[in-house]
Amino acid sequence: MSTTPILISGLVKTFGQTRALDHLDLTVSSGEVHGFLGPNGAGKSTTIRVLLGLIRADAGNVRLLDGDPWRDAAELHRRLAYVPGDVSLWPNLTGGEVIDLLGRLRGGNDPKRRAELLQRFELDPRKRSRTYSKGNRQKVALVAAFSSNVELLILDEPTSGLDPLMETVFQACIAEERQRGRTVLLSSHILSEVEALCDRVSIIRNGHAVESGSLADLRHLARTSVTAEITGPLPDLARLPGVHDVHVQGGRVRCQVDAEALSLVLEMLGHAGVRSMTSHPPTLEELFLRHYTTAQTGRHAAEARR
Amino acid sequence: MNAVTGTRRLVWLYLRRDRVTGSFSVLFLVLLVVGVAKQYAGLLPTEQHRIDFAAQIRDNAALTAFTGQLYGDGLGNLTVWKIGDIAFTLVALMAVLNVVRHTRAEEESGRAELLGAGVIGRLAPMTASLIETGGLIVLSGALTALGLAVFRLDVAGAVMFGLALSAPGLVLAAVAAVAAQLSERARTAIAMAASVLGAGYMIRFLADGSGVLWLRWLSPNGWSHLAQPFGDNRWWVLLVPLAVTASLTILAYRLNAHRDLGTGVLPARLGSAEATPGLRSPLSLAWRGQRGQLLGWTAGLAALSTAGAGVAPGMRDLADRSGEQIQELFRRYAATPDATLSDTFVWMIAISVAGIALLYPLLTTLRLRGEEISGRAELLLSTTAGRTRWALSQLILAFAGSALILTVSGLAAGLGYGLASGDLAAQLPRILLAFLVMVPPVWCVGAVAMLAFGVAPKLATALAWVVFVLVNVFGEALGPILGINYWIANQVIPFHHIPKVITGGQFTATPLLILTALAVVLAAVGLTAFQRRDLT
Repeated sequence: MSTTPILISGLVKTFGQTRALDHLDLTVSSGEVHGFLGPNGAGKSTTIRVLLGLIRADAGNVRLLDGDPWRDAAELHRRLAYVPGDVSLWPNLTGGEVIDLLGRLRGGNDPKRRAELLQRFELDPRKRSRTYSKGNRQKVALVAAFSSNVELLILDEPTSGLDPLMETVFQACIAEERQRGRTVLLSSHILSEVEALCDRVSIIRNGHAVESGSLADLRHLARTSVTAEITGPLPDLARLPGVHDVHVQGGRVRCQVDAEALSLVLEMLGHAGVRSMTSHPPTLEELFLRHYTTAQTGRHAAEARR
Repeated sequence: MNAVTGTRRLVWLYLRRDRVTGSFSVLFLVLLVVGVAKQYAGLLPTEQHRIDFAAQIRDNAALTAFTGQLYGDGLGNLTVWKIGDIAFTLVALMAVLNVVRHTRAEEESGRAELLGAGVIGRLAPMTASLIETGGLIVLSGALTALGLAVFRLDVAGAVMFGLALSAPGLVLAAVAAVAAQLSERARTAIAMAASVLGAGYMIRFLADGSGVLWLRWLSPNGWSHLAQPFGDNRWWVLLVPLAVTASLTILAYRLNAHRDLGTGVLPARLGSAEATPGLRSPLSLAWRGQRGQLLGWTAGLAALSTAGAGVAPGMRDLADRSGEQIQELFRRYAATPDATLSDTFVWMIAISVAGIALLYPLLTTLRLRGEEISGRAELLLSTTAGRTRWALSQLILAFAGSALILTVSGLAAGLGYGLASGDLAAQLPRILLAFLVMVPPVWCVGAVAMLAFGVAPKLATALAWVVFVLVNVFGEALGPILGINYWIANQVIPFHHIPKVITGGQFTATPLLILTALAVVLAAVGLTAFQRRDLT
């Protein structure tokens, strides 16, 4: 088994005039669930298509399961399963037949796991694929992937057609995959899903990875939001380095605090006397938006200067 | 909002979508007909020429089976004789494809749902597609009539021909509208409507080949012949297709009003929960998707071959072979001038069946492109299937399938001819051989689709259709219209290069091997190019 199933550095892919991937780096270690985040058009699917050997990289180094994804495609595919975001199936085959076919064309599938998954996803495998809704087609691809004997799962926005109940089943399945030691690359723009499931995330923008690391690492770089009700006189938090956006309303104070300044803030609040306090780490949404909004405003500013 | 709200907007949308294929089809039809008139005007400048020509072709049952009856010896009559039946068939085919494309295919893809959620009545898509298709058909008829009138042909005859040309189109448009209600799948709907077209063609063919002319009343193509454009101009005959169109349209509306979007009148059944052990490779997957269609193709063309060849032994041979046209016929379709008319006729049937059968490898290979566009190829190629194995599987099916179609058609033709002539043992093998020599040229044309898929995927579908039409009309009609001699124009058609067995020709393997090798090379280049390109 490979220690880094996915290793991409400096990947470039252009389509005509547009540069879809611009020196993208991505590392996924064995056994981790890796969130691949970015809005539509950021280059997530293009990256995955390069990994699957469906399109050829223009430049850069791409290793998949210690092989060349373009040259060794068919051989490497024995060890992975892929779920596309928009699943299209052979209309005259039933869901069950598609699951079996895909399993056999991978490293084989586990009939017990298949039966169990069909039940959990509430999928009727006897129906012809053309009669399935989008969500049901996605379930077919998911059951096929989860029941295959593979070491790597590549999932491209796999839950976009699932209802909240099925989304929960999906999350449980990913947790089980992690326990079995399988590696998962989960491309998504549903942040709560990534936050619930992923060990590490990479955020991609305009074909370039702008941030990569564990959620804890990323949170560490961002600010914690603190709200407190004070009994005594209000300390002047605003003048501390690393404290931002201070709002005072009656005996309540609300602010954003850099990781380095947290202990100092807590100390000052303690001196002032605390009646109640809440603090929460930044949500992934806040992290994500920070990357996109600052980039947006940066771009606007640059345009304004011109 | 009523059931047809939004029809006008949909008609515009369809016209917008069809602006290239629609105008090309209409123009192609008009030029095909008017081109023949122009060509004959040059070839047969005086009345005497035309009378001589008509006398030669009039009593030839073999030719008449393909063309229909000749109702006079004017330029108009000869034009209708030469190109009329081809034009009737093409306009009907255009109608079928167009109606299904805008109705059932839209429902199957889910786009109809998107539109249906807007201010669009439930019956609007069918209404709009019938209006748009009907419009294109009537326009083809009107422009053809105008074109013929410009060539100083009899105006009444020209108008009558325009109407006769539109009639089978309208009938088949209505047939397609009904078929689109019955099946959930566009492909099945097309197959159903095309079967009606094929059966109509075959009935007309048999009627004219055997001389049982009343049979033509049972065929859409037959009605247009019975109207006798440039002959008696019996306009009232066309009341039959008009009535049939109206009844079928009413039926289609009834069916459409009583079903849900996306469903068919014929119910979908549950299938198997597990795959059979055999379903484990791209080849078995391709076979699953293809077997019904292959069965249909084989059965249809075998029926056509039996019927056609069954007529042949009854044809009296021509007493006088001195006429220029008769000599030309034998020169084109027989290896020696003294081949019998029956044998020559069977050879012509073999060539015609092969001309239709070559659509099979083209369409089968083009499925690769369909799989690529739909995203199914992406899912399949994310497994161990492998690009080459996948494309090769489809190609094997295309080649083996076309060989099967021609073999079974050859057996069927031999059976028909043998039973009719009472000499089965001697006739079956030689007629089978006549069909088997068609296999390499059919492969050759099919390989062009693979080449196109590998090298120019976005143009592949268009290229395949152009090749199909060219192979069928270039030598006979289009080349001469463009002023290229038949014999030169035919050089690019693979069917021109095979040994004309059964009409006195010696069987030689060399041209067949060369054509097979050419097919392999074309397909190999296509496969190699596909291996190197991105999936798009």
